[in-house]
Amino acid sequence: MSMYVRVKHKKVTYFLHVEPSDSILEVKEKLQALSEQPVDQQRLTLVSTGQVLEDGKTLAEQKVENDAVVALQYKLPDSDQYEEIDIQKHDIDDTAEPHS
Amino acid sequence: MGITKADTVKLISAEGFEFVIHKEAAMISNTLKNMLSSSGGFQETELGEVRFPEISTPILEKLCQFFYYKLRYTNSAAVKNVPEFKIEPEIAIELLMASNFLDC
Repeated sequence: MSMYVRVKHKKVTYFLHVEPSDSILEVKEKLQALSEQPVDQQRLTLVSTGQVLEDGKTLAEQKVENDAVVALQYKLPDSDQYEEIDIQKHDIDDTAEPHS
Repeated sequence: MGITKADTVKLISAEGFEFVIHKEAAMISNTLKNMLSSSGGFQETELGEVRFPEISTPILEKLCQFFYYKLRYTNSAAVKNVPEFKIEPEIAIELLMASNFLDC
């Protein structure tokens, strides 16, 4: 059964069709086709739990469900570090921290 | 596998947020369908992006979620228990106007 995830980076959101049986590597390959950033420059984090997603595991194994929000980070130039998670928020967003 | 940029379209909100979605999903909207499939040479068709200076980001994101929701559950007898599509009351009116404009 097909599902989708929302991959967010700065002001851009990619809606990607995925299968629960897809590995994270396969998801990154799909992203590479759209963003032209190589697979090994990407890191994906499940926003709801803050968990970094591992290439070798599937979405289902890491409890990534339909409509989940996944943060995309790129490697910084000439380093092994990744940029900070940077998702610009807008007003009504079910992924945002609740306002007190 | 194998999606390429050509299979997607970028929708840009009033605040400049970009949503990259499959054309197949965008076609849920008759307005977008006409824009993307006409041979009349809409600029949007060539660039693969459509700007909505009057649609705010949360509304546009909700619309995209709806496109995918509809793609998934329309004509799929295999799926039982179709979940409700949640709409926050505070965005209902703006969403209604945007969906009217997009004809979806």
